[in-house]
Amino acid sequence: MRMIVKVKNVVKRYSEKIALDHFNMEVYEGEILGLLGPNGCGKTTAINCILSLLSFDKGEIEVFGKKMTPNSYDIKRQIGLVPQEVSVFENLTVRENIDYFCGLYVDDKNVRKRYVDEAIEFVDLKDYVKFYPKKLSGGLKRRLNIACGIVHKPKLIFMDEPTVAVDAQSRNFILEGIKRLNGESSTVVYTTHYLEEAEMLCSRIVIMDNGKDIVSGTTEELKAMITTSEKIVVSFVSIEDSVASLMKGIPHVIDIERNGEDFIIKFENGINNLSNLLSFITEHNLTYTKLYSKLPTLNDVFLELTGKELRD
Amino acid sequence: MTVFKYFLKIAIKNRWIIIMYVTIFFVMTVLNSNDAVKREESFVESKLNIGIIDNCNSELSNSLKDYLKDENNIVDTVEDEDYIKEQIFLEVADAVVIIPEDFDEKVIRREESVLVYKDDRKPQSIQIENQINKFLAFANITYENGNFALKDVAEALNESVEVHVLPSGEIEGSGINTWFKFYFNFTGYVTIALYIAVIGVVMSDFRDENIDSRRRISSKRFLEFNREIYLGQLTLASAVTITFIIASIIFMRENIWNVYFLKYVVNLIVFSFSILCLTFLINNITRNKHAITALSTVLSLGTSFISGVMVPQEILGDKVLAVAKFFPTYYFVRVNESMINSLSDIGFDIFMQLLFAVAFLLLGLIFSRKDLLVQ
Ligand SMILES: Nc1ncnc2c1ncn2[C@@H]1O[C@H](COP(=O)(O)OP(=O)(O)OP(=O)(O)O)[C@@H](O)[C@H]1O
Ligand SMILES: [Mg+2]
Repeated sequence: MRMIVKVKNVVKRYSEKIALDHFNMEVYEGEILGLLGPNGCGKTTAINCILSLLSFDKGEIEVFGKKMTPNSYDIKRQIGLVPQEVSVFENLTVRENIDYFCGLYVDDKNVRKRYVDEAIEFVDLKDYVKFYPKKLSGGLKRRLNIACGIVHKPKLIFMDEPTVAVDAQSRNFILEGIKRLNGESSTVVYTTHYLEEAEMLCSRIVIMDNGKDIVSGTTEELKAMITTSEKIVVSFVSIEDSVASLMKGIPHVIDIERNGEDFIIKFENGINNLSNLLSFITEHNLTYTKLYSKLPTLNDVFLELTGKELRD
Repeated sequence: MTVFKYFLKIAIKNRWIIIMYVTIFFVMTVLNSNDAVKREESFVESKLNIGIIDNCNSELSNSLKDYLKDENNIVDTVEDEDYIKEQIFLEVADAVVIIPEDFDEKVIRREESVLVYKDDRKPQSIQIENQINKFLAFANITYENGNFALKDVAEALNESVEVHVLPSGEIEGSGINTWFKFYFNFTGYVTIALYIAVIGVVMSDFRDENIDSRRRISSKRFLEFNREIYLGQLTLASAVTITFIIASIIFMRENIWNVYFLKYVVNLIVFSFSILCLTFLINNITRNKHAITALSTVLSLGTSFISGVMVPQEILGDKVLAVAKFFPTYYFVRVNESMINSLSDIGFDIFMQLLFAVAFLLLGLIFSRKDLLVQ
């Protein structure tokens, strides 16, 4: 696969604050890359640097094999951005907005009309073309924001948290849309702090924290990197503290957390984790009310790599 | 040309600002037109108070004095510029005529032969110049073999007084002049308010940080974008200014031939250009819509007031006028108020307005650079 974006050791300072600290990232043609990290870790800053919206202090950025500068108009033609904030004219209707932003790339009137129609179709805003943005619900506004960013059919699309503050229905619609775009051979860079979204959508993930890229790979690769491979949640009718502490002796147990009635038992890689726990329960004559096993999530990956939870 | 098209589209979506100012303007104009007509009527009935100083005492000069005495009330005066100016300021005299020693020779050589001080606040005072010009014109016609046929002149003047002077053109001309002064002065005020408000509000949309980011990552070249934006501004500004010029013609029709109409038009175009440059400066300082609307009101009303749009410059104090000189409206009003013979007479005031235009542009450029540095 061809590498189309290369970010190498980029440092970006805002006066005192270091927003990007030797940040690295690569994007390959055809993938959906998830840029995952907590609020304020530098995701938007990274995108703005790649797009030459921001200057940076150190490092290199190449897009489509060429150095990216504010005057790289031939590169910019192939890029689309869906910014984190809804960025449209309040004084223009849905259709006029999409047409205007398309006009920044496409001069030919007929082509533009076709593109605009297709974008409206794509985000399903047909019934709202004459609406002004302030009359749109939050979810519809986000769709308009997306339409304005992708109307010129870019090969490489940056989406900065397009689902923040969006109801579940619109959110699914947007995620489906991103998959469709990717199916139409666009490469997508998708930033989010929602783990589930990244896990379900992205073919590859870069995890970042405090302006640094911590690790990158497919979901499976990331999960394989950490020692926790399984978590079992169990709660008992009653259990003595002395017995509870004995659970640590079960083979492969790394850690036990207590959350009210629930015990969350973390195991490292092993084949008989569940049956070992069940034997322990029979051995000590315990009655359990619930018991289930969870595979590790990206949150576990994040937790293990940074020592912090990545939760909304 | 998408940017150009949408610039105008957004301007039209802000049409309520335009409609508001244009309505105020035309209501004021209609009210003022009635006023101007009244002034004309009162003028026809009144005689002027004039002072005459005759340093020549020839047959010709005595004849002129007699003629002027018939048409006006005579007041005593002294040949002292300060004294005369005070008389006029205090409205003791509407005009003072000074006849020089070499009056006869000057008339024969058709040179400027008499000096007239008059009260420019009173449109009627122009009448005195008309009377003198008429007398001299007739005198010159009758000049033959070193003599003027002064009897013929007197007769001709008597007849022409009955036939001509009272009802016709020149008298009306001064009322019309006042109308044009008012109209164009007030157009200046509305131009400031409209340009800053409408262009400013549209620009604050385009310069919104989020929206501008979309432009900056696009393949639209910055120069091309600016070209279309400024073309849009120019189109909008021209449409506004041309509307006011055409409206003045519709209001006054053939009367535009009785005033130096070209002066008003040239002056308004130059002034509009300097205000467009001011708008450029303001757009580079702020993109806050409230600030822009406030600036539009303050700058239009404030500078119009101190520059003599609402009240004549003569009435404003020296200190006020000294401040007013730091804004193009002052020079714009001066041109509208002046009586000129050729466009070169307003050269200085036009030059000053252009100088302000250049200054606004340069300042705007400096601020736009600063903006870029922040990014
Ligand atoms: N213009 C600025 N001036 C100073 N600091 C800034 C500026 N923009 C961002 N920062 C800081 O830089 C850091 C990274 O910000 P950035 O917006 O890139 O984070 P993010 O990962 O996109 O966060 P979020 O998920 O909230 O969008 C934050 O700590 C932020 O406070
Ligand atoms: Mg962000």
